[in-house]
Amino acid sequence: MGLDRRGFVKFVVGGVAGTLFTPVIWQSLDDVSIWSQNWPWIPRLNKGEVKSTAALSKLCPAGCAVKVKTLGGLPYAAIGNTANPMSKGGVCPVCAGGAQLMYSPARVASPMKKVGEGKFEAIKWEDAEAMLVEKLTAVKGQEGKLAVISGDETGSANDVFSAFAAGMGSTGFYMMPGEMLTATKGVKLMGGNGQPGFDIAGADFVLMIGADALDSWGATVANQKAFAATRPTGGAATAQFVYAGPVLNNTASVSDKWVAVTPTGASAFALGLANLLIAAGAVSSAPDFADYKALAAKFTPEAVEAAAGVKAEVLKDLAAKLKAAKAPLVIAGASFGQGAGAVDFCAAASLNVLLGRVNVTGGMTVLPTAPKALAAAIGRESALDAGSFLSAVATGKATPAVLMVYEANPAFALPQAGEMAKSLGNIAFKVSFSTYMDETAAMADLILPAPHPYERFDDAMNPYGVAKPTYLAGKPVVKKPVADCKDPVDVLLAAAGKLGVSLGFETYADVIKAKASAVGADLDTLTAGGAWTSDGKGGNLSLGAAALAKVAPAAADPKTLAVAPVTRQAFGSGSLATPPANLLIVREDELTGKDLVVRMNAATAKAAGVTQGAKVKLTAGSGELKARISVNEGVAAGTVAVPMGFGRSAWDEFTKGKGDNVYKILTVSDEAGTGLKVWAGSTVTVAKG
Amino acid sequence: MKAKEFNIKWGMVIDLDKCTGCGACMTACQVENNIAPMVDSSNKLRTLSWMLVFEMSNKKPCPDAEIAYLPRPCMQCGNPACVPVCPVVATDKNEEGGIVSQIYPRCIGCRYCMAACPYHARYFNWEDPIFPKGMEKALSPSTSTRPRGVVEKCNFCHTRLQNAKDKVRMEGGNPEALPDGAYMPACSEVCPTGAITFGDLKNPEHKVHELAKSENAFRLLEKLGLAPQVYYMSKREWVRKLGDNYAATGKPGAEKKHS
Amino acid sequence: MEEKKQCKGCGGALPFVVGFVAAVIAGWVLFPGVLYSKQNQPIRFSHKVHQEQGMECASCHSFREDGSYAGLPNNEKCMECHADVVGSDPDELKYVEQYAKTGKEVPWLIYQSQPDNVLFSHKAHESFECKSCHLEVEKTDTPPVYYENRLSGYSKQTMKMWQCERCHAENGVSNACHVCHK
Repeated sequence: MGLDRRGFVKFVVGGVAGTLFTPVIWQSLDDVSIWSQNWPWIPRLNKGEVKSTAALSKLCPAGCAVKVKTLGGLPYAAIGNTANPMSKGGVCPVCAGGAQLMYSPARVASPMKKVGEGKFEAIKWEDAEAMLVEKLTAVKGQEGKLAVISGDETGSANDVFSAFAAGMGSTGFYMMPGEMLTATKGVKLMGGNGQPGFDIAGADFVLMIGADALDSWGATVANQKAFAATRPTGGAATAQFVYAGPVLNNTASVSDKWVAVTPTGASAFALGLANLLIAAGAVSSAPDFADYKALAAKFTPEAVEAAAGVKAEVLKDLAAKLKAAKAPLVIAGASFGQGAGAVDFCAAASLNVLLGRVNVTGGMTVLPTAPKALAAAIGRESALDAGSFLSAVATGKATPAVLMVYEANPAFALPQAGEMAKSLGNIAFKVSFSTYMDETAAMADLILPAPHPYERFDDAMNPYGVAKPTYLAGKPVVKKPVADCKDPVDVLLAAAGKLGVSLGFETYADVIKAKASAVGADLDTLTAGGAWTSDGKGGNLSLGAAALAKVAPAAADPKTLAVAPVTRQAFGSGSLATPPANLLIVREDELTGKDLVVRMNAATAKAAGVTQGAKVKLTAGSGELKARISVNEGVAAGTVAVPMGFGRSAWDEFTKGKGDNVYKILTVSDEAGTGLKVWAGSTVTVAKG
Repeated sequence: MKAKEFNIKWGMVIDLDKCTGCGACMTACQVENNIAPMVDSSNKLRTLSWMLVFEMSNKKPCPDAEIAYLPRPCMQCGNPACVPVCPVVATDKNEEGGIVSQIYPRCIGCRYCMAACPYHARYFNWEDPIFPKGMEKALSPSTSTRPRGVVEKCNFCHTRLQNAKDKVRMEGGNPEALPDGAYMPACSEVCPTGAITFGDLKNPEHKVHELAKSENAFRLLEKLGLAPQVYYMSKREWVRKLGDNYAATGKPGAEKKHS
Repeated sequence: MEEKKQCKGCGGALPFVVGFVAAVIAGWVLFPGVLYSKQNQPIRFSHKVHQEQGMECASCHSFREDGSYAGLPNNEKCMECHADVVGSDPDELKYVEQYAKTGKEVPWLIYQSQPDNVLFSHKAHESFECKSCHLEVEKTDTPPVYYENRLSGYSKQTMKMWQCERCHAENGVSNACHVCHK
């Protein structure tokens, strides 16, 4: 049978018509539309059982007690742990994105060895540990040749690192700057011993001088919970909060009043209040009251107005409120959590002594010295600061051959950052124990990746600011770390064994167990999300008059502006660049494109000759910072507010090269009488650029 | 158009006097709803922030300046402006509880809803949700990922509502009468100061029921008549005035109308 | 020439009808074979054998405490009995060696798998019999063949939206978008 063209066409038409009565077209159309809903490059959700496990999330400086939500065993979110007395179900913005940080592109994937400027090569753990032991062997028994910098204020890892340094014959254990270091020294100036605590929960009037207590200072979430308890939604407030500092920050935004105090005026402001309180009849049984009274008398409202920029009536009103309050509390702190001196701490803290608010409910407490896990460890009260150490390296006074850096980022987060990084460069062999590729790791000769908090044992003894002795501990949430990492303490303990330095432990978990038993806490309760607290109180305090005698009302130089760095928990910290899940929180008036935005009030901007959006250069010594101007009335006169934590040169695509690093323009000076380095009073010149 | 009425109205009362502006709500929201981090997150025209914390100012010069932070989820309007403009019914307010839905596979990306929403609560996906390598393992099971080209918005973590109902069913309770606190969006759960109270506005056993009637409570742009299910409260008068977009040259906002 | 004539004579509708019928047959009989790829479960799991041991459906397919549905059991559950070989079936040996001992979960093929944007609560549908939506597998010795749609990637048995909607409508249940979508 043949087929002509016409027949063929009929056949085809019949075929097409027939197809319409089959699912071919309709089903294909439907399926294609479904296919287009599920592009293969769009990530799919995972399946499995949702569980939540208690963890100690030491991503923020104080550490949040959280519950990690896992799906099929893998973390995906963190929620608060309502059973934990510290965080009571709250989570800070950094810890809320903790699961995402486990997969941060900045994570160090495996041990790495430097093979050239900015170039690294992945090596095996056994080679890395052998290299560490070899370098440490060379400096064993030589004072000053081994140095350790720790950026973790609360962990027992410090006990191990400092005891190891001692065992190696070195006294070089240094802490990154923070409130804990200065305040503990401040307490000493007041005749006490231990770290101070502040019982916000029990106070009915809280004056925060500098301390950004409700966002980035101390045990933030615990502070926020204490604040929230005094503000029942829909009810009457049971406590008043006043923030005194150079910037109308997050803490000031919810306080009943913001008192604009210039960055250098905090001590004068505090003593001005003391003067008014004494005039109103306040007396103290402290032995140095007479000296203190004479000293405070110099800080008349007029003098305070000149030194701190606070109007006399504001000061008087505040003094009257402090006097009238049943349970007033003054929190002393630097407005960006560091850089103020021990004397500054004394000035503010002495108000608590004057008001009889020490070691009472709702007052300032002094925490007894915490037990150590290792006898040879250095206690908090005798810790040395990393800034002074690196300055000594810069001048050749200190010549370490090996530096171990634990959970710290001195190349980024020390004042005069440029010079600090340079002096780090002078140290022949640097080991960075770091979870992330931070600026210090990027300079190190050997990087030993540390686990993320969900992958490790860790603990937190007395996070700064807590009113009572407090101890938290956590264990891993996941079975296996994401990266090829090892716990730094485990690595160190193994190295110590090979070096013949006996520390008495094999793993960090054992150290924590020993610490818990020294404290008298049940470790299982702690790792299940509980907390240990006790009521131990330290001794009495003096007013610190001898130290305060050095406070002189400083006169501002009209040609320069005072720098007020602004911290926000969500920005991360010195040792953590803004986490991926927190990027959205950064506002346009903090970062625009790659430009950092600095703020000053209209009067200051006018005097400096700059306008909204203008590009400027802020210069201090050899440090220079580029930024744009935002005119904002939430900044004290003669002050420029600079967001802190930007201008990263390592990390990931989300943070590298974004903004500029305020540490570059913070200049260090020596605090009279204490030998501490301070940089809270840094000044800059502003030029258009 | 007359607003649809429901027996249950999920709503929030956000106490602005407690919000420190820390941003934990924004982070928790991103995590719960699988929003991928963006390289240039300062480009606020392209970022996706279902929950966004705004800074408000009393506009007074230093030292009398005051600021307040205002977290802005989707208002789940009683009379939403976004719903009637959708040409494909990808968004609707048709479920008990009054949450305005948004169905991503159905959305054609025309963005009429974005233009209609006076709260800027809707966001367009300019980019595909590509996470840094490995981070997709930390995706939340609660929300499907959205491709480039569709609009999305806050849905009060609706999956949590479904999960809460299942839990109540498991316990033998009534899923249509959830107890206070059984269902809570991620933002409300994470907030360290408890500024966001969440519940059924119509249920007298839920805290929000009374709070929404408080004399300090207000809604954003109430005069537009969209009847949001999100209430704010503040003892600060300037904050309340800003809530109704009070213009210095105009008249103070409309009389308060509470349901 | 004659043939051609013949063709002309029998022309008319025949080629059309032949084409039509061929297309209909191809579309209904052959097309599904092309559209769906056939796959077998990684392990020939016998529901029958397990039932004969006196096991209930809920012994493995259970609700969790939070009301979510566990769906298929994971290794942890299977290994309660099969941590080591207990029978003589070669597929059991395969399971023990390839999955139980390696810790790898079995990549079971889910006949009813829904996409990410669908939220389905088993708890809410508890009053229905399993087989009103699922394949009846409880008496099978060999699991049914899994058909995967080559275009959409879905299983052939994946319930479509109209089916969900129809049942909801018939039972007076809301068909609001968020009732089923996430």
